[in-house]
Amino acid sequence: MTRALMRTTLPLLAALLVAAPAAAQQGDPRLERLDAATRPVVAALIDSARTASLPTEPLLQRALEGATKGAAGDVIVAAVRRLAVDLGRAREALGSTASPAELGAGAAALRAGASQATLAELRHARREPLIVPLAVLADLVASGVPVDSAAAAVLSLAGRARDADLVEFRRAVERDIALGAPPAAATAAAATATAQSVDVNAGARPQRPGRP
Amino acid sequence: MDDVIERIARHLRRPVQVDPALDGRVMREISALPTPGGVTMVGKAWRWLRRPRQFTLTPLGGLAAAAALAVAVFLYRTDATSPAPPQVVSRAFQFVLVAPRAVHVSLVGDFNDWDATRTPMRQTGSNALWTVVVPLEPGRYHYAFFVDGSRWLADPSAPVARDDDYGAPSSVLTVGGGGDS
Repeated sequence: MTRALMRTTLPLLAALLVAAPAAAQQGDPRLERLDAATRPVVAALIDSARTASLPTEPLLQRALEGATKGAAGDVIVAAVRRLAVDLGRAREALGSTASPAELGAGAAALRAGASQATLAELRHARREPLIVPLAVLADLVASGVPVDSAAAAVLSLAGRARDADLVEFRRAVERDIALGAPPAAATAAAATATAQSVDVNAGARPQRPGRP
Repeated sequence: MDDVIERIARHLRRPVQVDPALDGRVMREISALPTPGGVTMVGKAWRWLRRPRQFTLTPLGGLAAAAALAVAVFLYRTDATSPAPPQVVSRAFQFVLVAPRAVHVSLVGDFNDWDATRTPMRQTGSNALWTVVVPLEPGRYHYAFFVDGSRWLADPSAPVARDDDYGAPSSVLTVGGGGDS
């Protein structure tokens, strides 16, 4: 009797546990901004990501970005699906302990062309959160730096440099590129300069609104 | 005196005649009494809880119980004073756009559900300068400026979002654990 009860009750409980958050997501009023054909597909993608323990908020934001920019439904679905895949690959590389923000930055780095091996090396090289190193890597590639040069430079700095040092490194590279330097050379020079200044640059920073 | 005692003893030695139906009557009376069958489980539990009990404890046992209590209190206090998990701290970021001919500018991005009505920018100083301050938690954000309800502009002072999927320009802001972008 007890065994029979467990056979019927446990699967029902499991289904409820899975279905309840899914139903909650279906009811997210933000999804109402998508058209009727796109909404269930995006909801299903988000549910799948949740089942895989991936962060769902970036997927929702990507869909909302498309809706606000007037993108077609199939373009929105493709963008959300692509981001979900990248988030999954980022977690494979960074490990299950990676934060949602790290996974988002890792997905951007992968999308820029970085390899999963580079992400895994960064995880081993740095104890602090990887949000900024991964984002700097993605931004450098977006600025035209070859992915291998960008990965090598970020890996060389990741173990010692603070987030602020890495941001300053990225700005230096972008500045030199804007002044006409070849991207790879600008990256190598800025990495060397940043590495030399890491130990010196330990002063506190004033608390004021930041700038992108 | 001995004679009186002898008579009493003789009276007591006489066999007593008991009514053969006595047993049956007694059992009927007993079964007619109210039984505790109607008491609920709660009532039984309440009665069990209120019934006084005696415990015996050796001095050694008492010391062991006191030591166990002290250890439990110590562990609780240690756990209570252990460092809490790191809190996610948000930090204010100022967004600036120079748009001399704009009438209305909004900031839209991953931090406000890409809702053009939620974060309007304000003209400051000269009318060309539009600014807004937004608190942000660590993460990597896509954002853009929405000008006059029709035009998308990327932030010229920030990296371009290369992973933009929709064609319209976007910028990227990264907020690290220390608030650096």
